[in-house]
Amino acid sequence: MSCICIASCTGRVERIQGQFQTRNQQDPSLSANGEKLAFIVDYNGRPSVQLRDLRNGNILPLRHLSRNQPHSSPSLSWNARYLAVIAQKGNRRLAIIEDRVTGRSHQLPIPGARIPVRLSLAPDASQLALQVAEKGKWRVEVFDLTKTIEPDQPSGRNSSIDLLGTSK
Amino acid sequence: MKLNSFLILQVRFSFLLLLVGLTGCMRAGIRPMNGLNEAISQFSNSYREPSLGSQWLVSLANYQGKDKIEMIDVRNRRRVALPGLNRADSQPISVSVSANGSRLAIVRQRADQTELLIYRRTVGTLQRIELTPKGIPRRVSIDSTGRVLAVQVSRDGKWDIEVIRLQS
Repeated sequence: MSCICIASCTGRVERIQGQFQTRNQQDPSLSANGEKLAFIVDYNGRPSVQLRDLRNGNILPLRHLSRNQPHSSPSLSWNARYLAVIAQKGNRRLAIIEDRVTGRSHQLPIPGARIPVRLSLAPDASQLALQVAEKGKWRVEVFDLTKTIEPDQPSGRNSSIDLLGTSK
Repeated sequence: MKLNSFLILQVRFSFLLLLVGLTGCMRAGIRPMNGLNEAISQFSNSYREPSLGSQWLVSLANYQGKDKIEMIDVRNRRRVALPGLNRADSQPISVSVSANGSRLAIVRQRADQTELLIYRRTVGTLQRIELTPKGIPRRVSIDSTGRVLAVQVSRDGKWDIEVIRLQS
């Protein structure tokens, strides 16, 4: 059993038991409300994103992200309605955003020779910042998502959040 | 013969509609924010490790071979001063910004130490967060309040994730 550890500055430590003691866990990303955690688990050489509810330790299902490994750099919106991750499709790396309310996914292929390396989703999912590698250099590009996906607002301001098990 | 031709035509048309529909659903409206991206590329020719807040983009920018933490106000495309944060004797590794931009969580290398820190932007102070038991931090993510951190930590040759709740 692997551990996700909850500690405080004063030294109080509470451990939440995870599922995979022997597996590496990397790339943590908290939802802005602090209730969900996305991270990468190495399943026999296949880095895969996992989403966990920190209140009860439960692993939450992901409809579109059980494939297209290796995954890297997960990022969550405010209530974890949206999970963005860099994934593999064929011979290309691309950003995928899964909407956990509608079950849809949005793909962001990067044209040209740019390779996505890391990403960050704005708390309300209105923007996505993408680190790309191009000609040996790293750049950050920001994309506007407001015409594509509805915002994930803080608790109480979004009718969809009850489906996500988010406390008010 | 006419029926066959009609059926083939119908299948082809349906496939075309499906293709157009899928492509449209997945990519429509995801647009680069050209003005912001141009501003970013003018500040430095190397940016990595992006982290988006509600109004802020924080990342590691490289100036003459030296990485520094940089914060950009997405709305007016201007850099924000971070007094006391970037030091000549330290190398930032990972950074994450709270939703309102008031706190930054940082992993940095300084001398032979890898440190986990919280930067309070309003007062310009750095607070070191101790890991218990000791470990080497690698990546960090912060929630909207700036009081919950998820940290990737190396212990005994294995990567784990810790969630740390700060009391202030």
